[in-house]
Amino acid sequence: MNLERVSNEEKLGLCRKYYLGGFAFLPFLWLVNVVWFFQDAFIKPAYTEQLQIKAYVKRSGLGLALWVAVLTTWITIYQHYRAQWGEVGDSLSFTIPLGIP
Amino acid sequence: MTTSDSEEDTYDERSALMSSETPPVPSYQPEQSDPDPSAQGPVSRRAKRSGRGAGPEAELDEEEELTLKYGAKHVIMLFIPVTLCMVVVVATIKSIGFYTEKTNQRLIYTPFSEDEVSVGRRLLNSFLNSIVMISVIVVMTIFLVMLYKYRCYKFIHGWLILSSLMLLFWFSYLYLGELFKNYNMAMDFPTVGVLIWNFGAVGMICIHWKGPLQLQQAYLIIISALMALVFIKYLPEWSTWVILGAISIYDLVAVLSPKGPLRMLVETAQERNEPIFPALIYSSGMAWMVGMANPAEGRRQQSDAEAQEAGGSLEAEDSPDPPAGAQGACPSGEDQEEESGVKLGLGDFIFYSVLVGKAAATGGDWNTTLACFVAILIGLCLTLLLLAIFKKALPALPISIAFGLVFYFSTDYLVQPFMDNLATNQYYI
Repeated sequence: MNLERVSNEEKLGLCRKYYLGGFAFLPFLWLVNVVWFFQDAFIKPAYTEQLQIKAYVKRSGLGLALWVAVLTTWITIYQHYRAQWGEVGDSLSFTIPLGIP
Repeated sequence: MTTSDSEEDTYDERSALMSSETPPVPSYQPEQSDPDPSAQGPVSRRAKRSGRGAGPEAELDEEEELTLKYGAKHVIMLFIPVTLCMVVVVATIKSIGFYTEKTNQRLIYTPFSEDEVSVGRRLLNSFLNSIVMISVIVVMTIFLVMLYKYRCYKFIHGWLILSSLMLLFWFSYLYLGELFKNYNMAMDFPTVGVLIWNFGAVGMICIHWKGPLQLQQAYLIIISALMALVFIKYLPEWSTWVILGAISIYDLVAVLSPKGPLRMLVETAQERNEPIFPALIYSSGMAWMVGMANPAEGRRQQSDAEAQEAGGSLEAEDSPDPPAGAQGACPSGEDQEEESGVKLGLGDFIFYSVLVGKAAATGGDWNTTLACFVAILIGLCLTLLLLAIFKKALPALPISIAFGLVFYFSTDYLVQPFMDNLATNQYYI
């Protein structure tokens, strides 16, 4: 889908839907939103809907940053303390590395 | 491994390669089909053409030249995704042992075992396997054509969505598991859950609804690669080669013969003036219909992608519906804006990757893999050349697979030992 051929109202609608969709535990959707609409929101010369699109992109970016922080923290904790957690660690694990570290 | 819906879907349609131009259009240029005299809008990409003023002969020559030039551009546009798909498959095969491990599980599509002692028996079994597989494909294709003819669109869409769900979530979950096991990394369920959920959900949105073109293309490549990996793992060795050959022949027949199911599909869609399954196709460019105030009227200007068939079998991936997008987009009475692209069925991606992947898995060494890779690209080139000449839907499998098979067997059994001998005896040519 090429954004250039799409009307501004449609762009706004699309941006909004992507923003709302991201609340369903979909930070990737927020990332796509930010990257895809970045040019439209910040670089293009002003047009009516740009303000709202800008708002959505900013909020998506914020949500994305939050998710990245949470995930990084959790992954760090998990990787570091997994061995020490014993059974709980094992039950949380999708794959367990073999061998002696 | 039990069969899955997506497995069945994989044989819905045969691969076909289509130009993105309306068949009646004589040249490759999209503007040609624009009946609007005030065409050549400001955004037109074919700036060169506005300079044409000379007589019809000069026009024809220029058209031909542009045809070939744009044909060349399309070849490149298709090389990249096909190459990427093959690279992903080969990289996985070479690094993750899971996909080359011997397994006794078989798909129900290949019921005959290849653990036979005698060569003849094994050959017979592989032929029987391929007959079973091809018949499944034929039945599925005819079923699909019937559904399409009798306008059971909801059923088809539901089927496609189920298929892509399966692929995007289940297969990628398995793949991720194997990846982590291979690199001996620990991974926890919550993170994996988030990863797979994001990957799958965004994939469904991009493919079946609206999303950035590059992301959609990337997803189509990834699922083609996943599907190819499944085939490489679960199809017995000799059966794979026979099936590849048989499918190419079937493709040829289905697309070109007057009663072929795929041809009927194309013709039905053309009669109804609607896109044949935006699903199942990888499109390299974007197709835009002219924008009309009344969306219904817009269809009469339809060119480009609309007349294209959803070649590939396999994957039910719906690409965003071009007419819907374009119609809603352009305000009334705009110039026809088109960017011609070429469409290649996902089945083509899958079978090309199966060939190269199998060569990587079982062939001697990198020589064989590279030879098959080159062979397929050459075949693709030739097919696109034919496409530029004939300007109608063509089967993309036969030429490439034929070359691929020839190159595989000759490299593995002739060139490889030759090179090894030369190297051993330090004889440089």
